[in-house]
Amino acid sequence: MPFLPRLRRLFSTALTVLICVAIAACSTEIPNSTLNPNSQFGRDTDRLFDWLLLGGAIVFTIVEVGVLFTIILFRRRGKGGKPRQVYGNATLEITWTLIPAAVLAFIAVPTVRTIFKYRPENVPADALQVQVIGHQWWWEFRYPELGVVTANELVLPVGRTANFALTSKDVIHSFWIPSMAGKRDVIANRTNHIYFKPDSAYAWNGFCAEFCGTSHANMRFKVFTVSPAAFDAWVAHQKTGPRFRGGPDTSAATAGNIGAAPLTLAAFTNGKRPAHIVPSTPTPKGLAIANVTGDATRGAQLYKTGACIACHVVQGVSPGIVGPNLTHFGSRTTLASGLYPNDPRHLALWIKNAPAMKPGSLMPALGKSSRMPAGYTDQQVADIAAYLLALK
Amino acid sequence: MATTLTAPVQAPVHVQTPAYAGSGVWSWLTTVDHKRIGQLYLYSALFWFLIGGIEAGIIRMQLARPNGTLVSADMYNQLFTMHGTTMIFLAIMPLSAAFFNYLIPLQIGARDVAFPRLNAFSYWVFLLGGIFLNASWLVAAAPDGGWFGYTPLTTRAYSPGINIDFWVLGLQILGISSLAAGFNFLTTIINMRAPGMHFLRMPIFTWASFITQFLIVLAFPIITVALTFLQLDRFFGTNFYTIAAGADPLLWQHLFWLFGHPEVYILILPAFGLVSEVLPTFSRKPLFGYPVMVYSLILIAFLGFGVWAHHMFSVGMGPIADSVFGITTMLIAIPTGVKIFNWLGTMWGGAIRLTSAMLFAVGLVGLFTIGGISGVMHSSPPADLQQTDSYFVVAHFHYVLFGGSMMGLFAGMYYYFPKMTGRLLNEKLGKAHFWLTFLGMNLTFFPMHFAGLNGMARRIYRYDSSQGWDVENMTSTIGYGILAVSMVIFVVNWFISLRNGKRSGPDPWGAPTIEWGIPSPPPDYNYARIPTITSRYPLWDKKSPALTREVPHTKEGEKSIDVNIGGHQTDSHIHASADTTLNAEDAHPSSHTLGIHMPIPTIKPLIAAIGLVIPFVGLIWDKNLVVMLLGGGIFVLALFSWLLSPVE
Repeated sequence: MPFLPRLRRLFSTALTVLICVAIAACSTEIPNSTLNPNSQFGRDTDRLFDWLLLGGAIVFTIVEVGVLFTIILFRRRGKGGKPRQVYGNATLEITWTLIPAAVLAFIAVPTVRTIFKYRPENVPADALQVQVIGHQWWWEFRYPELGVVTANELVLPVGRTANFALTSKDVIHSFWIPSMAGKRDVIANRTNHIYFKPDSAYAWNGFCAEFCGTSHANMRFKVFTVSPAAFDAWVAHQKTGPRFRGGPDTSAATAGNIGAAPLTLAAFTNGKRPAHIVPSTPTPKGLAIANVTGDATRGAQLYKTGACIACHVVQGVSPGIVGPNLTHFGSRTTLASGLYPNDPRHLALWIKNAPAMKPGSLMPALGKSSRMPAGYTDQQVADIAAYLLALK
Repeated sequence: MATTLTAPVQAPVHVQTPAYAGSGVWSWLTTVDHKRIGQLYLYSALFWFLIGGIEAGIIRMQLARPNGTLVSADMYNQLFTMHGTTMIFLAIMPLSAAFFNYLIPLQIGARDVAFPRLNAFSYWVFLLGGIFLNASWLVAAAPDGGWFGYTPLTTRAYSPGINIDFWVLGLQILGISSLAAGFNFLTTIINMRAPGMHFLRMPIFTWASFITQFLIVLAFPIITVALTFLQLDRFFGTNFYTIAAGADPLLWQHLFWLFGHPEVYILILPAFGLVSEVLPTFSRKPLFGYPVMVYSLILIAFLGFGVWAHHMFSVGMGPIADSVFGITTMLIAIPTGVKIFNWLGTMWGGAIRLTSAMLFAVGLVGLFTIGGISGVMHSSPPADLQQTDSYFVVAHFHYVLFGGSMMGLFAGMYYYFPKMTGRLLNEKLGKAHFWLTFLGMNLTFFPMHFAGLNGMARRIYRYDSSQGWDVENMTSTIGYGILAVSMVIFVVNWFISLRNGKRSGPDPWGAPTIEWGIPSPPPDYNYARIPTITSRYPLWDKKSPALTREVPHTKEGEKSIDVNIGGHQTDSHIHASADTTLNAEDAHPSSHTLGIHMPIPTIKPLIAAIGLVIPFVGLIWDKNLVVMLLGGGIFVLALFSWLLSPVE
């Protein structure tokens, strides 16, 4: 086939494929995309990426078309062919050194500007302070000025900068909400900072992005950005004690200033949780639990006298500091740091055998087994689960 | 045509190991011949490449679908750690070492390297190091801290098992091998070039290797320090990395990447060198801008020591450090890009023959560019905060390591297989290998750019559905399947061509450098008479002096190279085999006949290597002092004996 039409066809096919792929990549259907940012910080970094992508596309086209063109045009024809032995050209060398240098300078300037724009010192004075403490393999979130301690699910107000102070209790982790902003490492004996202002209400996924051991892949978190009013209601709710202390539910007395129910996604997603924040992690084969209904009152008693209190805090009930704070556990949408939906069955399986549910988990298996004959029966596990789910 | 002053030496073509070099297992265990050692590295490295490839295959099978259950979290973490460690230290580096060994003495007109026994020692230490590292699989304790082994995760507190011990000690052993070889090649290149071969006449592969050796001897001591600190912490209770005792949590990262960044240039520069040899030959033109290519190699190596913290843009070093390293990283893109343009300039206006070797070389030019572009994207710290630790980076480095290093190394294999064996690799299979590799590689790694930009973190053994990563992962796994098929074709091609490949003669490609003027495979002494070099392209001078008139030469009046191609002048090089079979019955002169003193084969480097590795085994074996002392004793005795015996 003659050279030019063949090249043209190759080119148009490649272009079509590239466009389709690009469209697919930039689609808003992709929930964790870094290319549809939802904060100013995210937008600034995305703009830098856009320039880099443009530059990259230009270089790609020049080089790849150059390569294709060259090997087609200068294909040896026939037997001989002793081409002119050109050994160099100073002008070309200078040109193709200076032009890339200029292009890079063009990227360097906005890069340095953006770096300095988001220095820790530049955080707005009215920012919401959030402490993030990384653990193997879960996330602790504290709002020091508001007196709130929770785990694995972060709630932030729209339109107000959240300033994160990041540190680790053990190995290095990394705090990453791809659809919101870039990541920052979470390191022991050191406080790192990152801040951004969410500009819309939705639900987002967060991930650990620094290899931290066995369950690095399972160290996820959820982020809910809500209206300022909903955020204030959530904070007020979090500051109260646990909603269920065993025995008749006394929470009705305090219902007035908290709102009809604890924070749910109904506030902004018509009651339907978007698929990307609902985990589909399968439970381990061979781990099962009897289909019994738990009793929260019995569960509260088991909790107060059981192993749980060594590691977990339920405000006013147990003082443990190793594991996540469970005071309002029932209002979380996921458990085991974003790994499973927070429902009776998953929670019961978790209590029964956390290491099977999450490899390497420091929470021991608590269910009865041949190795642990004194462990909880399935009914007891269901009771504890019912109690925890009542801690809304 | 060129004149020769004396009767040409009959240097016939052999297709098996020449008889005077000895055969049998013992001859391989005692060899100090750089060509044999090169082949040992080559076969070992290809073996480890396949092992690393199997590890990759299991990874891809696990990640093909969301929530994969093929392997456990622990097994996956071992697999990705070993995949990276194997591919970097046991595949790409030794493949490069194979070429350093085989080619450097040939290209500079020497008979062997400066320290032939040290050369053998380097190989045996490498082999034992690779075995040590992989022995961990046999005790179900393969390293699982990533190839980069960040502390505090890899300290005893968070990695109590022996997995990381295998990693630390294995890398220490491999480091010794690389350092010894580095000193060896530096000395060889500086001291043993043929008369007339001043630096700017050296073949470009030798230049690339030369610069790589500087990188090795300057970078490996840094990781030795980093690993030694970790070794002392893990085995002897020191606190170099213990945060609770006041250690800086970033110490490891700085030390590791101070090594790690030059390491990636160690991985790519030899491939660049090979491509710079292949492109001119198959374009029938000199390398465009040879001096600029040399300066860019030097600049890349130099700047390579100034960019390490671009691996640390998310650790919070502060705006000044971030900015400085961002800028130095952008700077290093310049000499790298210049090389791409010079390669294009080499091909432009040429008479291009798309042999398998050429296809792989052109492949590097095209694919490394993609990796380079994503690399520049990483150079901007704020943008990198999204990209780092995501699959976008995985895409980047596989493009530069597979699309770059491996493509270049394959080009070198196809190009130099005839020199090594006297036969050609089958071109049809070679082209199939190339196209399947090209297709498979792009299908595997291009989607990873999207997975990363769509929020997929790296080093995760599973991912959930509804995250938008399913299509990319499945595509990558399919791409892997294609790559696996292409590698099978390559292995098949290799072994059938060893037996039945078309005879190549000394110079099947019409190449310009002097190694193509001696028989394929070369006699143990390489050159019957050390040539005098008068230009960068001695053989082209001989074959087409009119064309190379403009290429820089020495002053007029110096005699041209007197390297002979089996005593015959040939200009159609594919037909060389027809001519040279005439010489098959001639008595081949041995080094003894020619009065050339060759290094004496000896078992001592192997014994010394075994002695060196035994203490590491003793250390990991519950700090067994008896074993450690035994090994030390063997090493010292072997070394003593070695040093007291003459080389030749």
